[in-house]
Amino acid sequence: MSRLRRIAAVAAVESTRLMRTRIALTLLLLVPLLQIVLFGTAIRPDAAVTVAIAAPSKRDAETVASELGQQHNLAVVAKGAPGTAEAMVRRGGAVIGVEVPEARSFANPLAKGGPLRIVVDASNASLASAATARIEAAYWRALAERGDASGPGLKVERLYNPESRADWSFLPGLVGVTVMIAMIMLGTLSLAREREGGTWEALLILPVGRGEVLLGKLLPYVAIGTVQGLAVMMVGFWLFELPVRGNAAALAALLPLFAAAHLALGYAIAARARTQLAALQGAVAFYLPAMLLSGFLYPFATLPGWAQTIGNLFPLTHFNRAATGVMLRGEGWPLVLEQALPIAAFTLLAAAVAALFQARTLD
Amino acid sequence: MAELLVDISGLSKAFGSRTVVRDVSMRLGAGDLLGLVGANGGGKTTTLRMLAGLVKPDTGSGTVLGAAIRSGRSGRIDQRQIGYMSQKLALYAELTVLENLRFHARVHGLRSDVIGDALARYGLEAVASQRFGVLSGGWARRVQFATSVLHAPLLLLLDEPTAGLDVVTRLALWDWMAQFASAGSAVVVSTHDLAEAERLPQIMLYRDGRASAQTTPGQLIGAAGSPTLEAAVLGQAQP
Repeated sequence: MSRLRRIAAVAAVESTRLMRTRIALTLLLLVPLLQIVLFGTAIRPDAAVTVAIAAPSKRDAETVASELGQQHNLAVVAKGAPGTAEAMVRRGGAVIGVEVPEARSFANPLAKGGPLRIVVDASNASLASAATARIEAAYWRALAERGDASGPGLKVERLYNPESRADWSFLPGLVGVTVMIAMIMLGTLSLAREREGGTWEALLILPVGRGEVLLGKLLPYVAIGTVQGLAVMMVGFWLFELPVRGNAAALAALLPLFAAAHLALGYAIAARARTQLAALQGAVAFYLPAMLLSGFLYPFATLPGWAQTIGNLFPLTHFNRAATGVMLRGEGWPLVLEQALPIAAFTLLAAAVAALFQARTLD
Repeated sequence: MAELLVDISGLSKAFGSRTVVRDVSMRLGAGDLLGLVGANGGGKTTTLRMLAGLVKPDTGSGTVLGAAIRSGRSGRIDQRQIGYMSQKLALYAELTVLENLRFHARVHGLRSDVIGDALARYGLEAVASQRFGVLSGGWARRVQFATSVLHAPLLLLLDEPTAGLDVVTRLALWDWMAQFASAGSAVVVSTHDLAEAERLPQIMLYRDGRASAQTTPGQLIGAAGSPTLEAAVLGQAQP
């Protein structure tokens, strides 16, 4: 009985402490609520996959579009002349391109000619595979309905990830996720620990400016984040044969900026939070939606418009695009620089907020 | 008092509904050593923090090292001229004594030979390579004092520097504080030890956020007709 009383006493104290840490308590309720809302409204794994159709005639393209439009979860986003569907997939405008060869279409499957080509962006294997299977089924069904079950075949070309390896789909993004979580945590703790340990008071009295403290505290972690990101890439390369087809140096150059963005954010969170617990909760409240809306856990293209708008605010979204582009699609500096701009803007904003919130006094 | 390094009047500070410092005034010149004496929670720490620019006063005004101190927007105190030792052991526990001293020397833009001088002067050579976090309270206080005065500040603010220390370390710290004042710095030190305060040239007695005028322990003892400062203070505290 006395043991139960002691446990109850400890539990009561812990509950009281938690109740009096208002920010932590708010975030403990807010984070699960946010997850539920995001999972329920933004995450739709069965959302429509974009398809581009290229055919020799407008009529053929319309016929194919009509057939595919009846399929669940396929959205025809473009119709054009031969070659345009593949080009659109390579540009990232559609996940699947259907190239109908000369004199061949769903409308006239008995005609002679080469096979129907389905060009798939397989960098997201799970998304592309199911949709491709549905198109194949629709094609064979169309042939069967026209009485030619043994008609000409179709050829599926999987770009970037020919074996549809699921691990290749998420490993590039995992580099960003690993660095993001580590840097937010380190940025948060670097300040929260100082404040709770008392060294912050001593630091305030030294002739060091706010910007100098911010930069000085975060620079070592930028180096750590860069090394960490490179290490994850190397592990992917050695253990999972993850290719780096594009400019690896360009992607490596993006890592310090990406790390700095999350360090500055972590620092800004800690500058507002009073305790380490509250600061860590704030960090979690940021990185969970970032993972959900960046295209890492679920294909970005399947998110609704509002979720994509929010997703584009997260540095992880842009890093994910750059990493996938460089590793699987063979891209280089142009893509990396394009994705670096929003990350740089985020970094500047987070650093400004961190410097602003970083109090010069103990009031 | 040739040059006033601290000249404040009527400083008050409240946190929420609780007023922790009421109407404190102080004038200090080079060579002054002033003790803020009183029980814990009396407002000594907040006074020191206001002098250091770490806390803004709600009312009152004045100057510290020439910078304006007042409610709202205060002037920027030249932190290169302030030495501050907080009540907490506020140095980096993961760094060695030498590394902590080196850090302070670098941010103050000092030559590296001041570190060796400080190690010798405060008897820290034996612990120079030890991590600050593993030091005993006495050694930690010595190191903290050494970092606070490394840049030979004009104004030295020390918050309970001798609390909980052995007599040897306590005496050494008082001796070093006196040396600093003799060398031309103004030193403000808080303590709740009345026996130690009795040896100070000037004191201000704190009670419930209110501070007495600057006076000498002898004047306080004489006015109370008591044999010691402790007896005088206890006599005043009687309802």
